[in-house]
Amino acid sequence: MSSRDLTIIGYLSVLAAGITLQIAGIRRPDRLPSLGRVLSHVMQSRTGRVGIIVAWAWVGLHFFAR
Amino acid sequence: MTDGAGEAAENPPAARANAGRVSAGRVAASGLRQPIVAILLLIALFTAVSGKPLDGVLTLSVATLLSLEAARSRQPGAARDPGARATECPAASVSADQPRRGLRTVLARAAWLAAGGLYCAVVGSFSRYSWPATTSVVALGCLMIAIGWQGPLIRRPLPAGEPLRRAWWWAVVLVSGGLLELGSLLQQPHLTTDSYAHPTVSALTDPLLASHPGRSVVLGGWLLTGWFLAGR
Repeated sequence: MSSRDLTIIGYLSVLAAGITLQIAGIRRPDRLPSLGRVLSHVMQSRTGRVGIIVAWAWVGLHFFAR
Repeated sequence: MTDGAGEAAENPPAARANAGRVSAGRVAASGLRQPIVAILLLIALFTAVSGKPLDGVLTLSVATLLSLEAARSRQPGAARDPGARATECPAASVSADQPRRGLRTVLARAAWLAAGGLYCAVVGSFSRYSWPATTSVVALGCLMIAIGWQGPLIRRPLPAGEPLRRAWWWAVVLVSGGLLELGSLLQQPHLTTDSYAHPTVSALTDPLLASHPGRSVVLGGWLLTGWFLAGR
């Protein structure tokens, strides 16, 4: 297995972990928060809200703008 | 009474103006206490050194503004984060603030979806990194930041209690993804040259973003994520 394959498996593992957490958060909200609930908590303050939105804007800039 | 206090007593607007002024050291100290500001500064640094100065300028500018805001809010007598929502949001007020569902809501959502679809189709037709694509994405990003600065668009009941204490699981996943991406970036032959053996997410998505439909689909996902965040 090449380094490229291992790197791609690593990314897919992180993605799978995120999807698993989201499903667990939706099915058992009393035990684990979904991503939406975590973001709502982080975005209570202006710093958190603007910081998260900047991270979102950065993704768009990263892929499309220079 | 000191001269400054005397001036403040005689001239309240001047006192308010002085209260708004903060030193650079206080701004830096207040900003670095905020984890999100520190993360934005790291993003700005790594983005700038990897050959994307525009991304770095945007994140650095907002990190500076947030630091300034944090320093001002720490001053005696300053209003506490005017853009923040109340810690507790009673269910009654939440339901009262929610927009009434009906034909107008459906039409408004349909209009937003049509506008989003048009944006994806038009901006997706532009080449990556061209000036029309750059202008379109920067304009939308700045608009969203300005909206987010004002406050939440929709009031929602805040999560609390036992489940929230397990939010660190999400931090583990996000940090793992970030470290994997950073490791791949640092193993490239040069920060601006992709590596086949250690591809970053950007390198892996290049084939998808090479076509008009691919760019439109990715832009659609980006817009939907923005819509999701706007509703937080």
